[in-house]
Amino acid sequence: MAEQGAAVRAAGRRLMRRGAQGVRRTVARRKRLLAYVAILGPGMITANAGNDAGGIATFASVGADFGYSLLWLLIPITISLGIVQEMCARMGAVTGKGLADLIRERFGVRWTALIMLALLIANAGVTVSEFVGIAAASELFGVSHYVSVPLSAILIWFLIVKGSYKKVERVFLLMSLVFLGYIVSAFLSRPDWSAVAVGMVRPEFKLEYAFLFTFVAVIGTTISPYMQVYVQSSVVEKGVTPDDYGKTKLDVWVGTIFALLIVFFIIVSTAATLHKSGIQITSAADAAHALRPLAGRYAQTLFGLGLFGASMLAAGVLPLATAYSISEALGFEKGISRSFREAPIFLGTFTFLVAVGAAIAIVPNLPLIRVLLVTQVINGLLLPIVLFAVLRLVNNREVMGRYVNGPIYNAAAWLTAIVVTILSLLYILITLFPTIFGHR
Amino acid sequence: MLYLSQVLGRPIRDLEGERVATIKDIIVRLGADDHPPVTGLVARYRRRDFFLPRFHITVLNQQGARLNSDILDLRPFGRRESEVLLARDVLDKQLIDVDGKRVVRVNDVQIIEAAGDWRVTGADVSLQGLWRRLAPAGFAGSKKTVEVLDWADVGFLATDAATVQLKSSSDKLARLHPVEIARLAEALSYHHGSEVVESLDDETAAETLEEMPAESQARILSDMDQERAADILEWMSPDEAADVLGDLPEDKAEELLGLMEHDEQADVVELLPYEDDTAGGLMTTEFVTLPRALTVGEALARLREMAETPNMIYYLYVVEKEESWKLVGVIALRSLILAEPSMPLEEVMRTEFQQADPEEPAKEVAQRIAEYNLLALPVIDDSGDILGIITVDDAMEILLPKDWRQRLPRLFG
Repeated sequence: MAEQGAAVRAAGRRLMRRGAQGVRRTVARRKRLLAYVAILGPGMITANAGNDAGGIATFASVGADFGYSLLWLLIPITISLGIVQEMCARMGAVTGKGLADLIRERFGVRWTALIMLALLIANAGVTVSEFVGIAAASELFGVSHYVSVPLSAILIWFLIVKGSYKKVERVFLLMSLVFLGYIVSAFLSRPDWSAVAVGMVRPEFKLEYAFLFTFVAVIGTTISPYMQVYVQSSVVEKGVTPDDYGKTKLDVWVGTIFALLIVFFIIVSTAATLHKSGIQITSAADAAHALRPLAGRYAQTLFGLGLFGASMLAAGVLPLATAYSISEALGFEKGISRSFREAPIFLGTFTFLVAVGAAIAIVPNLPLIRVLLVTQVINGLLLPIVLFAVLRLVNNREVMGRYVNGPIYNAAAWLTAIVVTILSLLYILITLFPTIFGHR
Repeated sequence: MLYLSQVLGRPIRDLEGERVATIKDIIVRLGADDHPPVTGLVARYRRRDFFLPRFHITVLNQQGARLNSDILDLRPFGRRESEVLLARDVLDKQLIDVDGKRVVRVNDVQIIEAAGDWRVTGADVSLQGLWRRLAPAGFAGSKKTVEVLDWADVGFLATDAATVQLKSSSDKLARLHPVEIARLAEALSYHHGSEVVESLDDETAAETLEEMPAESQARILSDMDQERAADILEWMSPDEAADVLGDLPEDKAEELLGLMEHDEQADVVELLPYEDDTAGGLMTTEFVTLPRALTVGEALARLREMAETPNMIYYLYVVEKEESWKLVGVIALRSLILAEPSMPLEEVMRTEFQQADPEEPAKEVAQRIAEYNLLALPVIDDSGDILGIITVDDAMEILLPKDWRQRLPRLFG
């Protein structure tokens, strides 16, 4: 009896002499794979997701309205964005939990409800901006947005609920790469590089409505609340642990710098083309002007394609990510494979955001570019709420153990949160009492 | 019946009705009981926390707590073995509902007084539970029955309080299918996912790990106590174990391999040299061989007497002679059972059969298994010896799209 049992086992053992060098081989192969994946890691993806419809509109407006004078803002924003994203990525790696999870577990239901409400409003705003982007893009091609927006909304809803979104995602992604064209365009438009250099280093700040509006919009679109949630979830999803966190940290910083570099070129190219000729951006066609040096008369087509791709991409992912966060925080069933009866809050939130986003975008006579900017301002105003939650969590030793912020790093992080808060408050003040600072 | 949220922050009064402190938390002892008993309160007095043992408390209700003496014994609070604090460690945390096979978040905790004891009877996971805590006091007067999860069905409590995992909970988890345990563990954070696997017995842990993604398997095993990890590896099927070891850093893999029992270790070592995406990497070394000289009856008797029966016995591999690996034929179990017991195997076996070379790409072999509707396929080396078999379940894993599990889609690929 025993010997037949042994016969089965021996089937393998006989091969033992082949040696165990295979361990080494498999491990080596896997490392190469990891290095490859890191190129498009969570940090890179999230930071660059900021360059969506609202982002393009905001940066193009900055260039058109203020020329090179606000370029200096990009330096502190790069540092702040990097720090904020890095903190969230680190929390994901250390705890293995999403931001919404941590907020719920550490702050209790009332704070969770408040923060989730802020996130819902901010993300609803961004979703509106994505559908506005779709509207603006389709108008460039002569398609009425009363047709394109509802169609896109329905398409997105079905693609995601039926689980086939991933297949088309790449197409949209590819389309949004058009915005890399701004880099080329910036050089071709022969900007005054010395003026650019001055703009980079000489801070200019005025206590005026238009100035504060732009300021808050730039911050809101670069450091959006959804990005913190998203980068942390992606890190968790990827299964990053403190041991291999170094790579993710690098990815976050490289992604941040890359994203802001693109912003830099968008501002430079719009400043060199639109600001020089005194054009203010009121429509997507205006924004497309800045691509002229590169694409000539195809500038509008190119811009339209990019805008459509980027908007479709975010219009699907953003409502979905929001629905995940809210279900996560409140402890409800989640997942696109669930039915409405199983996961009412999850699918309800998702559907609500898509529907509201599309509905607002087709309100007649909507000043599209203005709406894009306003949604970014809302983002900026709600950002402090999320930032303070992040800071409290990342400095909690019970959550982070020895991975809490270091003192200098922490100072920079708090400074970011405080400056953003002050700017938001100033903006609200000046909106409510336009003459408070003596201008206008 | 009482909810935790109705008690927290309420006053603690002494015998005279004088307010002496407020309720900060409720302490329960997790143990063999399905419904853990309350062992005391954490009292907040002048911004410091004190321990109030159960026997000092006579009343506990929505108005607060009442002591049985005038003297407040101010013992500073320290957590004892297997105790958890309901507000701190349970409220807002996740737990595994074994009955519903899901991960839920605790919105409130239900406490019932029975036979002079307060016991935790359930976790409120409903929207009403959330509303009770969100709404201002007195506003949440809904008398609707709420969805309360029986505490007896709690299989795992995802809390940071160390050493509170109850023995009984792993038994509850073990009632689930390993596929389900794996899915639930994956839904938790990776720390808690590892804890879930560690709480299981070796065999269930091995089966659960096999259902998890390769990276998770490697991470969980390398974070675990090494002896334990080696024990679990022994229970895993050799091909799965070899895959995990291949994913681990080399020194770690060698250490774990060294700790494994000799037989299981040998099985795994055989499979290590093959690349993941080849037939050799896909195959397992558990299969049954029979010498061609046997009769059908003798073969069946051998199968019956076998000490360890491999999972895959639907195909039996006929070899030249005892102790030989030269494959000469394959018999389906069905033909063996239906055949006359006196017939020699040679006459029942099929000599024409699908086979694979160890270097053949895994995908091609998997496709062949699907095309020919096979349950397994032997892997043969140059000299005609059988090295192992590839079973249909491993082939399926190759053929099914990687992300058939529904997850948060990434923004970019």
